[in-house]
Amino acid sequence: MSEERRDLREIVRDEMLVRDRVLAALESGPKTVPEIAAELGAPSYEVMHWVMAARKYGYLGESLPTEDGYYRYTLKAKE
Amino acid sequence: MDYDVLVVGGGTAGMEAALSLGDMGYSVLLAEQQASIGGTMILLSKVFPTLDCASCIATPKMAAAFHHPQVTTWTSTEVDEIRRDPDGTFRASLTRKATCVDPAKCTGCQQCELACTVAIPDQFNFGLVGRRAAYIPFSQAVPKKAVIDRYGDSPCTFACPAGIKAHGYVSLVRSGLFDAAMELILEDVPIPGCLGRACYAPCEEVCSRRELEGEVPIRLLKRFVADRYYAAHPEPAYGAPEQRRDGRVAVVGSGPAGLAAAYDLARKGYSVTIFEAAEQAGGMLRYAIPSYRLPNEVVDRDIANVTALGVEIRTGHRVESIGTLESAGFDAVFLACGTSRDRALGIEGEDQEGVVSSLAFLNRVNRGEAPDLRGKRVVVVGGGNVAIDSARVARRLGAQSVTIQYRRTRDEMPAFAWEIEGAVEEGVSFEYLRAPVRFVGENGALTGVESIDMRLGEPDESGRRRPVPVPGSERISAADLVVTAVGLETVSDLWAGDPRVGGRGTIAVDPLTLQTTILHVFAGGDCATGPTSIVAALGQGRRAAYFIDCLLSGRPLDGDGYDHRLAPVSHEVVLGRQASYRTAPADGKRERPGEERQHDFTETELALDEQQARAAAGRCLDCGGCCECHQCLKACPAEAIDFSQRDRVEQVHIGSVVVSTGFHLFDALRKPQYGYGRYPNVITAMQMDRLLTPTRPYDTVLRPSDGRIPESIAYVLCTGSRDCGVGNDLCSRVCCMYSIKQAELIMGALPLADITIYFIDIRAFGKGFDEFYEQARSMGVYFVKGRVARIEEAEGDNLALVYEDIANGGKVARAEHDLVVLSVGLLPNQDALRLFSNGDLRADEHHYVLEIDEDQTPARTSIEGVYAAGSSAAVMDIPDTILHAASAAALAGAYVERLKA
Ligand SMILES: Cc1cc2nc3c(=O)[nH]c(=O)nc-3n(C[C@H](O)[C@H](O)[C@H](O)COP(=O)(O)OP(=O)(O)OC[C@H]3O[C@@H](n4cnc5c(N)ncnc54)[C@H](O)[C@@H]3O)c2cc1C
Ligand code: SF4
Ligand code: SF4
Ligand code: SF4
Repeated sequence: MSEERRDLREIVRDEMLVRDRVLAALESGPKTVPEIAAELGAPSYEVMHWVMAARKYGYLGESLPTEDGYYRYTLKAKE
Repeated sequence: MDYDVLVVGGGTAGMEAALSLGDMGYSVLLAEQQASIGGTMILLSKVFPTLDCASCIATPKMAAAFHHPQVTTWTSTEVDEIRRDPDGTFRASLTRKATCVDPAKCTGCQQCELACTVAIPDQFNFGLVGRRAAYIPFSQAVPKKAVIDRYGDSPCTFACPAGIKAHGYVSLVRSGLFDAAMELILEDVPIPGCLGRACYAPCEEVCSRRELEGEVPIRLLKRFVADRYYAAHPEPAYGAPEQRRDGRVAVVGSGPAGLAAAYDLARKGYSVTIFEAAEQAGGMLRYAIPSYRLPNEVVDRDIANVTALGVEIRTGHRVESIGTLESAGFDAVFLACGTSRDRALGIEGEDQEGVVSSLAFLNRVNRGEAPDLRGKRVVVVGGGNVAIDSARVARRLGAQSVTIQYRRTRDEMPAFAWEIEGAVEEGVSFEYLRAPVRFVGENGALTGVESIDMRLGEPDESGRRRPVPVPGSERISAADLVVTAVGLETVSDLWAGDPRVGGRGTIAVDPLTLQTTILHVFAGGDCATGPTSIVAALGQGRRAAYFIDCLLSGRPLDGDGYDHRLAPVSHEVVLGRQASYRTAPADGKRERPGEERQHDFTETELALDEQQARAAAGRCLDCGGCCECHQCLKACPAEAIDFSQRDRVEQVHIGSVVVSTGFHLFDALRKPQYGYGRYPNVITAMQMDRLLTPTRPYDTVLRPSDGRIPESIAYVLCTGSRDCGVGNDLCSRVCCMYSIKQAELIMGALPLADITIYFIDIRAFGKGFDEFYEQARSMGVYFVKGRVARIEEAEGDNLALVYEDIANGGKVARAEHDLVVLSVGLLPNQDALRLFSNGDLRADEHHYVLEIDEDQTPARTSIEGVYAAGSSAAVMDIPDTILHAASAAALAGAYVERLKA
């Protein structure tokens, strides 16, 4: 990873800013963290924070892992 | 005594000590600084070597301690100081931190957390995931109550004279909750459209982000939400409140101060009438501020927010005396008649045609009666924002030349720098250090200005250097129009003639209540303060409304509870929270090009679009933690949120003290050669334990770099233990065993993963420990005897461990893994040593609380009546901690018995 990692607080703070974009990326179907990262143009370790927070708060869930060891995340219907 | 024993720290040891003492019949106060008791254990996956579920063991203990009839538990509580009295008892001072949630009402439903708009790293998940400013610590928390992280007021919110929750609406914009942002602003003021354009934005001046690349454009964000909302809601979506209150209030003046007071009072149910001398409402908003900065439609829509509440605005109605309002039966009066006159220069020729005051000039233009200035030479006298407005308006009316004459230099000019720059870009020229001495005319009409050079002398009372004329430098320049803008003043006829008030100039009021010398007459805004700003006038109007309500509802006007702000969080504290910042390029100026805009009255400033607004709001640093967006208030079904809570200091008298303050984890950043904090796939064992709990932050054990299931996991034992280089030569006793525990659990969770443990020697001294180690080996965990020197990042976010291969003659070897776990050590928590202000709680040579008679009476400390429990005294595992705590409890009980004897 060549570029400097952003401070943790900064990555976490951005969660509120990018959540809509993370969820929008899943509208076309389940995706892995690197796939979401590619769509957002953000480093995948940052996306990992946002995806896991969205998972924690019930916006998305995971399906079975792919052959190469990644879970795909899917939108959860909000009640 | 209030309690027999104070137990400081509610982890495993503290809970055990409290329970033992409670069972023995002693009354116990258990004080815990976190929002839940349970300490470290409740955050663990399983315990070694039995692999029993940690939370299955800890949760019943937590509940038992919390609900024990003899135990009182205070969470979110700091023990500030403990003093020992000569009679052997103790007095403790504790701060119970405001959590902004009433625990008696909170049901732990988490709705507040789901609605909250501020994300903060979750300390209970060691930063692997975020939480919210409003949060339940973790799912097994006891008490399971929400708490809100509020560190103080955010500087922007604190600075707003009108009490607008600036941070709140910035945060709502960041989350894309634009309507909620507008509603939040409307909680405080009725005129967001005007503020979003013409507010001087004291919030931005103090914005912490200013210390980096530039402030958050807080004002423009307000304009963004107001414009968006107004486009969808041409009329307010509400009417007059159903709950009416007795009391009729007259407001004189429909500028910001009058509008704000009317808005607040009408929302409380009073009937309010505004009297306005001009033909239309709005005061300076309508008649002074030029429409290229503030279009009249925006003023109209803002004012509709007030009239929708049933407020009547009687325009074209000049109030001649306070008495007329009293005899009309109003119960209270608020004078908000502003500063409606320009100060005169007092020089020859000022009365002739061609010399106008700035207010008269701007007023005409805003009324649509603009003079044609094409080909005219205009001179504006003055250096404030009103002078700049006049000059820029003159430019738009086609003036051939516009010159601002100011008697000091640009440095002293009171106008804002961006206003001055805007004027320059539009072709306005400036003559500094020059002042008019006479306006020259022919046949009563102006032909020129005679002015004189000035130089700066000694500073005057305002601190600015006084301008002194340079004799003999007078000269005349030709001019067709002069606009004087040297300050505004109030017209005091309304009260000067009233013997109960009297006085010329601004009206005298009580600065707290804005009450005049007449009980039911209040005054505020520029007529009481002199010329200020829209937002300051709004603040005055709100203040008056508050105290008028006190008066009319029979409450004391002592101001108790009026200013509900907390101390602002300092920039140092805010900026100190991060090790680094990625700055975005500053927003730059957002104006139409000067060449284009100088010819029309279309708005000069460009609005933000949705994407720009969210990105700009995303730069906010969440200075105060909770942003006061009030989403939790709306979401909470139990009405448990209470922002009026404040920290409370409590004094308690106790017989004995048990110190169970636990340990600190070694901070892996102190071993930079291991790359923690730099390489995402280097984590600590505490993080791994979280990943292995049922309530884990990820779906399973995954690589933080990309969410892939790891295939090859390395453990680096003794990170920060047995290491003189970091000042801790002790073995941490538990790291070998917890690493083996985790290895076994990972093998269960990820059967395909390889696990390698790099060790110096394995310490498996307790009951069943060695068998546990052998079991891991037989399960296929690799044990490599080698000290890891450094960790480097390899291809694909993998990690290369460079280590001394002890088993193979000490040669340097290298191995690649895709996840590395640092088995961090345990360090003493030295905070306990500072608790006692008049006794010496001594430490051992490793900085743990000293047990003065470790062999015979463990837990006894250097202060009689104070006992150490658990890892405050030495690193120990959970069973040893429980034993040790029981011993401390027995000693504390015995001590209390001696006191009582
Ligand atoms: C050219 C100009 C530009 C400005 N630009 C800005 C800016 O960009 N940002 C900013 O924050 N501030 C600005 N200000 C200052 C700001 O407008 C004032 O601080 C603010 O309007 C004061 O509010 P107020 O309610 O006290 O008074 P006003 O807005 O002056 O309102 C008072 C009202 O009372 C009415 N009234 C007076 N006497 C009577 C009576 N006897 N009976 C009935 N009605 C009466 C008046 O007609 C007027 O409508 C500017 C001021 C000027 C002159
Ligand atoms: S006011 Fe807003 S930021 Fe503060 S706790 Fe409530 S929802 Fe969160
Ligand atoms: S960084 Fe955010 S919270 Fe802090 S002062 Fe600026 S806008 Fe307010
Ligand atoms: S929404 Fe209210 S009741 Fe529910 S957890 Fe939050 S504060 Fe408690």
